Amino acid sequence: MDKSAREHLAQHVLAMCDCDAAEALVLHDNSALTRFTHNAIHQNVAYADTTVSIRAVCDSRTGVARTNALDDGSLRAAARRAIELAKLAPKSDVETALPEKAPYATVHDAYISATAQATAHRRAHMVSDVFEMAYASELWCAGFLTNSAQGVTVANSTGVLASFDTSDAGLNVKMNAADSTGYAEAFDHDIDQVDASAAAKVAASKATHSKAPEPVKPGLWTVILEPPAFGELFSYLIDHFSAQAYDEGSSFLCDGIDRRYMSENVNIWDDFSHPLAPRMPFDFEGAPTQRLALIENGIGRTVVTDSHWAAKLQRPNTGHALPAPNAAGPMPRSTVVLPGSKSRQELISETQRGLLVSRFWYIRPVDQRRTIVTGMTRDGTFLIEDGKIAGGVRNMRFNQSILEAMRSCELSNELRRTGSYFYSTVVPAVKIDRFCFSSVTDF
Amino acid sequence: MSFDAFAKRAIDTAAVRGARYTDIRYENSRSERIEVRNGAVATLSDATSHGYGIRALVDGAWGFSASSDFSGSGIDRTAGRAVEIAAAGAAIARQRFGDPPHQAHVDRFVTQTELDPFSIPLGERVNLLLQAEKLLHVDPRISVGRAWIDLWHVEKTFYSSTGSRIEQSIVQSGSGMEAIAVANGEMQSRSFPGDIGLYKSGGWEIVQEARLQENAVRIAEEAVQLLDATQCPSGSRDVILGGSQMSLQIHESCGHPAELDRVMGWEANFSGTSFLEIAQLGRLRYGSELVNIIIDNTLPGGLATVGYDDEGTRSIVSDIIRNGILVGYESSNDTARAIGAQSTACVRAQSWEFVPMIRMCNLNLLPGETPFERLFDDVKDGLYMESNRSWSIDDHRLNFQFGCQIGWEIKNGKRGRMFKNPTYGGVTPVFWGSCDAVADENSWNAWGTPHCGKGEPMQVGRTAQCAAPARFRAVQVGVGYGG
Repeated sequence: MDKSAREHLAQHVLAMCDCDAAEALVLHDNSALTRFTHNAIHQNVAYADTTVSIRAVCDSRTGVARTNALDDGSLRAAARRAIELAKLAPKSDVETALPEKAPYATVHDAYISATAQATAHRRAHMVSDVFEMAYASELWCAGFLTNSAQGVTVANSTGVLASFDTSDAGLNVKMNAADSTGYAEAFDHDIDQVDASAAAKVAASKATHSKAPEPVKPGLWTVILEPPAFGELFSYLIDHFSAQAYDEGSSFLCDGIDRRYMSENVNIWDDFSHPLAPRMPFDFEGAPTQRLALIENGIGRTVVTDSHWAAKLQRPNTGHALPAPNAAGPMPRSTVVLPGSKSRQELISETQRGLLVSRFWYIRPVDQRRTIVTGMTRDGTFLIEDGKIAGGVRNMRFNQSILEAMRSCELSNELRRTGSYFYSTVVPAVKIDRFCFSSVTDF
Repeated sequence: MSFDAFAKRAIDTAAVRGARYTDIRYENSRSERIEVRNGAVATLSDATSHGYGIRALVDGAWGFSASSDFSGSGIDRTAGRAVEIAAAGAAIARQRFGDPPHQAHVDRFVTQTELDPFSIPLGERVNLLLQAEKLLHVDPRISVGRAWIDLWHVEKTFYSSTGSRIEQSIVQSGSGMEAIAVANGEMQSRSFPGDIGLYKSGGWEIVQEARLQENAVRIAEEAVQLLDATQCPSGSRDVILGGSQMSLQIHESCGHPAELDRVMGWEANFSGTSFLEIAQLGRLRYGSELVNIIIDNTLPGGLATVGYDDEGTRSIVSDIIRNGILVGYESSNDTARAIGAQSTACVRAQSWEFVPMIRMCNLNLLPGETPFERLFDDVKDGLYMESNRSWSIDDHRLNFQFGCQIGWEIKNGKRGRMFKNPTYGGVTPVFWGSCDAVADENSWNAWGTPHCGKGEPMQVGRTAQCAAPARFRAVQVGVGYGG
């Protein structure tokens, strides 16, 4: 469903809402994913859907109803249900108004038609390059190649009408040997920029060079985290920048804004316009999203808000609302850790003894307020000796405060987009002193 | 309106386009969530969704396409896309994963409920949560009180080109609450029941069974007490785990590794593989003689209880771990055939948009013979832990580390002082091998897990791991605070 059809639908729905204020959020998703293992495709899927979410406001009380049935009868029923829910809700202690119409930035080239329209045959052709690399390297591969198109329209009864279209593509490949594995990935909103052969080559090299991994002792290590590893670790800081977490006491920023938390070389932004990850320039309430320095030279600068939390905390609305209803609070959606000055190779060369980590797995918070998390290395962990890769090591478990890690770190000069189902972020590689590993595995 | 005519059209279209086998799953679902947070209704939502997913098999390769377009051309387009996707995979395949299922069933399954949850007036549902949440604020240090209800009703019909037509009406309900206490840079939380609430197949009676109001003050007081409690010690201790933590332990260290697709490398790039290798079937000692774990997707009240899975296979009861030995897997038609076995009917899709895949369903640790209170008798120096707070396990499902919300010291058979931040870790078969007592059926409960993630695209599954508390010897505790 294109922009004009979504906007027409949103305004049609608003006209059905007999209440103090209303918001219509139309989401269209057309996605496909080809998944492979043992050098063959084993899952190959596609789906398309359009949903309409209606938020009704009655006397400062809100209700939300959602449907993907787009006939008038179903839409009217959803509107009635949203109003019914709103009337039954207790009155909020915070007077929250839906955002007023305001200009938002233009993000160019976020939608690439070739990406949106890539067929199953194109995906098969691309993954066959990965298979060929696996056969040539006497490995077997597993992974996915995906392409998608999403369209978002937000409209409300105060005049907001905001639309955004984006496309996306991603490749994830794990190469498998008898006792080692290697990983690489590529994400881009333009499928032509996803180089399957190059990613397969990196993954194969990691699997090959980590064969016969040796155990090393857990303890405090200097580590270099490649972007997929650092991105996943960093993702567990993102919710600390929510006004809700800040107000309720679960954020490290509760210790104070404008206070130093990380080393001076760390700068973290929320930037919807970053060329590696162009994103929606408004939020799911239609408020313009601001580009924000979250951490500036290691100092915590701000938290993000939506209309509710802006009103509650008497702060500006930064335009970071998630789709209603949202009990999780506002959230940064486009985080970027700015690069440093040294190359990845320089970081390795300057390391006397350390570990190069390709990827983490199953990170979970151990202590939210202290930012302590635990997790495992996977798919290519290497010993560095005298500035060179000395071979593969067995995987290890870590228990580490992210803040502590970022108080003594160096960042590489090249940014990568990385992500998973819970986050998407742009980060460099990072070198961290005294990273705490607590146990080792048999593989 | 019946979907039968649409299904026939889709199956015929797929056949004409070259599919050797086709199935189509129509779903119409309704979900409601209410969440009260600090006295306000933070979420009050009612969502409906309907659509269909078509799975086509071409030359040993599967294709899947889903849509909510119910026009004739929409059905044709979606069926054609499923076939096209399958053919694209078949064109480059050097091995074939798929084979048509042979069974066909015509049947109807309905979840047994005592009280339709959607029939309860909405005001009553909201009021229950407001009252329970209000009780959580026992102290100014309670920063967040939350209480919630989730209700799901799915009507689905499965059709296959081999003649199946299976209607199912599935109702699932759950509720829970959480108190978060904050002071002096410390944050502690307690939730009830268990760590995510009580979730089962059934109606409003499940929400009533959770008994939120009766337990609100106690758990809030515990959250406050934890702020000043002693840090959990480190070292080797005997450990007793509460029922909901046992559910998590089963889920992560048995449920996922026993998924046969994972064992066969189908999840290798994301969720990982498994140490429960096929060559070890019937031989691997997974745990002590007391450890008996079964699939039971027929269990009344189990959150994953259905009549048939999403490949049209009838729900069964089968063994995974018998007297500590690995004897089976959670499987699908394709994976079971690869090891010369029958499907254990563990194939599910999150909703119509998603391809069916192997999912943990009801995976239950059978109760033992020891009354819960007697588990403590033989513990000289140990810990009792309840309600999960943190969970992590490696991509072979061996090295795990879990944390709980609360712990208590056990000295000479008696529960003593409270510990905060309790954690424990180990290696899966070693840990289960140290199990020397499982509590009896009086403390056995069908703990549901409503948000289990797996697959690409990521799917959320509703599973259950029924369990009673159990005792383990010489476990490493206090492992999470080394960094």
